[in-house]
Amino acid sequence: MAFIEIKKLYKTFDKVEAISYIDLEIEEGELITLLGPSGCGKTTTLRCIAGLEKPEGGDIIIDGKSMIADGFVHSSKRGIGMVFQNYAVWPHMKVYTNVAYGLKLQKAPRHTIEQSVMDVLKLVGLAGLENRYPSQLSGGQQQRVALARALVRNPKVLLLDEPLSNLDAKLREELRFEIKSLVRRMGITSVYVTHDQAEAMVISDRVAVMFEGKIVQIGTPNDIYRKPINRFVADFIGTMNFMPAEMIEVAEDKSTAVVRTGFTDRLSCRITSDAALSKADNLFASLRPEDIEMFAEAPQGKENCYKGTITNRAYLGNLLFFFVDVSGVTIRVQASHLLLYEEGQDVYLHLNPDKCLLLL
Amino acid sequence: MSRGNVFLAGLLWAVIALLVIYPLSILILESFKVFGTDSLGIINYVKFFQDSYYLKTFGNTLLLSALVLVTTTVFGIPLAYILARYRQRGKTVLTALTLLPIVLPAFAGVFAFVIFFGKYGTLNLLLMNAGLVKKPLNFIYGMHGLVFIQSLHMLPFIVLSLSAGFSMIDPSFEEAAEVEGASGFWRFITITLPLCAPTYLAGAVIVFLWPFTDWLTPLILGQSDFLPSVAYINIAYHFTDVQRKYMGIVAVVVSSVVCICLFLLARWWVEKRKYTGLSKGTTSEGRVIEPGIAIKSLSYVYMIFIALLVLLIPVVLGLSAFSRRWVFEPFPTYWTLENFRVILLETPLLVKNSFLFSGIALVFGVVFGLPAAYLIVRTKVPGKDALDFVITLMLAFPGMAVGVSYLLAFWETIPLAQYWIIMPLALFARRLPYFLRMAHSSYLQLDVSLEEAAEVSGAGKIRTFATISLPLLLKGVLVGVIMFFIMAFQEISTAIFLYRGGWETMPIGIYLNWHRGMEFGIAAAMAFLMIVITFILLLIVSRLSGGVLKAAWGSTAKQ
Repeated sequence: MAFIEIKKLYKTFDKVEAISYIDLEIEEGELITLLGPSGCGKTTTLRCIAGLEKPEGGDIIIDGKSMIADGFVHSSKRGIGMVFQNYAVWPHMKVYTNVAYGLKLQKAPRHTIEQSVMDVLKLVGLAGLENRYPSQLSGGQQQRVALARALVRNPKVLLLDEPLSNLDAKLREELRFEIKSLVRRMGITSVYVTHDQAEAMVISDRVAVMFEGKIVQIGTPNDIYRKPINRFVADFIGTMNFMPAEMIEVAEDKSTAVVRTGFTDRLSCRITSDAALSKADNLFASLRPEDIEMFAEAPQGKENCYKGTITNRAYLGNLLFFFVDVSGVTIRVQASHLLLYEEGQDVYLHLNPDKCLLLL
Repeated sequence: MSRGNVFLAGLLWAVIALLVIYPLSILILESFKVFGTDSLGIINYVKFFQDSYYLKTFGNTLLLSALVLVTTTVFGIPLAYILARYRQRGKTVLTALTLLPIVLPAFAGVFAFVIFFGKYGTLNLLLMNAGLVKKPLNFIYGMHGLVFIQSLHMLPFIVLSLSAGFSMIDPSFEEAAEVEGASGFWRFITITLPLCAPTYLAGAVIVFLWPFTDWLTPLILGQSDFLPSVAYINIAYHFTDVQRKYMGIVAVVVSSVVCICLFLLARWWVEKRKYTGLSKGTTSEGRVIEPGIAIKSLSYVYMIFIALLVLLIPVVLGLSAFSRRWVFEPFPTYWTLENFRVILLETPLLVKNSFLFSGIALVFGVVFGLPAAYLIVRTKVPGKDALDFVITLMLAFPGMAVGVSYLLAFWETIPLAQYWIIMPLALFARRLPYFLRMAHSSYLQLDVSLEEAAEVSGAGKIRTFATISLPLLLKGVLVGVIMFFIMAFQEISTAIFLYRGGWETMPIGIYLNWHRGMEFGIAAAMAFLMIVITFILLLIVSRLSGGVLKAAWGSTAKQ
């Protein structure tokens, strides 16, 4: 049985649906991320797990114990650790007191508390700072205090609500890895909320993409990236080229299809979701910029090759993005920084049919 | 640094020097004068602190302050919590009632409670008539009565500061505590209250200072062993007994020193611990809790209880105002408008003086306050922060200190006190901080680029101010104007020292009425009239500034 089960969770705020009957099973020891744009319900879901919000319907079962159906269990009794977006590190207490707060409530003996606090501070890299006040710490350090506080009681579940969004980019990257390795090492089941898809990809065992109160797709980062279930997910994660397409024919085994687009009458694509089969219009042939090969001359023996003109070039140091106009359709291509093509140059694009997805 | 700004600063400083620094210096100087000689010495202070009677009054006042602070805090915490956190119906009305005492004249409460709780007041008479007691109970004559009356008067300050604190706390601080396992009560004690400490302190200081400046309440209750009352009696009534006069002056200086020190201490401490700014919160709205039925009903009962006590004041005064010969009866027996007729038709002088002096003081206040706010917020003239500081410091001074110092300073060398102009001047000096606070915060909210745009277009400083700044500041300024007027209107502690025949204001009239033991109905009618006027002004304020809470807090906060 899964360690955390969310069943038909339903929550509204002032008659607006924030969470719309979601189901989710989280395995013990995994780090799952709730990913989505603002307002998709990810933070609300997290707060329901924490017990800080009371849902109108559904149940949350943690380690076999129901948190809602058998009487609402208050957040103070759920034995979870939580890291808040703004750290919520109490400014009137030293680092030590902050971290020890929950332990003291458990009435643990003094030396046990001391040992645990010091251990966890060492774990997060704050050894020696236990007598400082939060105002004397940097943002990153305050975040570590919050993390230490959440971990010190060895909680069953660790909840993180966009913990890195208030930090600068470099720090964010650093802490991402730290959090991941820490959680791995301790084996704590964790639920992470973020709107930063790069963060989600790096840190998660699995990702649940949410939109308008519903879970759209759950899978490993690779699943989500390589096999997005619909246009929304494909667009939200990474960059994607979307080419409006019209269905021409579908293969027998329903795994591939041929479509008409703005620049060709026959483009081969793969089908990953049945939803794409059901509708004839509003389809998009989708391809990641890195899955497109670019040649100066027409390549031999390849399917899906088209001629176009480079209209724009973006130099990112390690990569180049080329914007290529193919019969009126602009396609974004990612290339190595060594490719010295110029704007206005004619090129040939190979749109790999294996990587070209037909999405709704 | 523009010449104009420096000149302005100089001008403002000159006014402050004349109306604040000079008189207070004279006061301090006077306290060091050795009688019979031309020399200075600390003999007066020595005598004061060696005299067991004066020491006792000092101790009593400290005790009273402490008791009042404790009482207001104990009763204020639940009230503030309810106001800040619970969504109750009728909350706005109950809130307004709870905060009413801020704008009632201080003596209103005493009079009303003497009528109601006095030896032969309504409550005692009712109890005796019902046979529940044989002899009248002493409800208010003594320390307990003082604590009760002063606590009720000062309760709003604590409630306002605490509820502001409660609503300003980032909810995640409390949520984090809950997640860590803290029950509601423990979380309140270890997290919520400590985080409110700075805002609480702002209100606590005002409360603690009050018994050091309230000379009238103890006198009305027949308790004169308190520092301000003793000072008043000594200076106002025993000025021929030089010894006592000097003791009185020392008492005033000692009170002032205590007030100033506490004020500065609190300010310094609050500056050091600005907690609310620390959290990089995403939401700024305070937490709202839905309490259980039991707690909800209990809190209703509690709020109504406090509201009733407060309502007692205008109701009792109103009853007294509209009646005559209300003695030895629980309720008035003879209704009449006679009292109002007397005030308004036969002796309208009091009303006229009150409005005239407060009005003129207001004009001074605006003429001085607006440029001062401009100087402090917009310029970098050296000494501007000191100016701000000195003016704010005026809030801490007991009214008597201002009154007595003016009496000493403006009698001979600069004989301002010989003319009625001294009344508005004193009111202005004492209440200026109220206007300046509002003007200051309004100016802070005015984006400087709006003014710069005008100047770039060619407008001079004065035109910019008149056409751009002033219209945009107007709302805040108007609130400041009205608060200033209300506070000047009720002022008594300074005016009582400076008035002469024909210059009495309504508060002075009320006091004299009581003192001469004349028809109580007239004093009550005047007090009632003052309450009505204040209330109307306050309604206007709340309309303008979107809430009585904000306006009242705005004038008392940021000290």
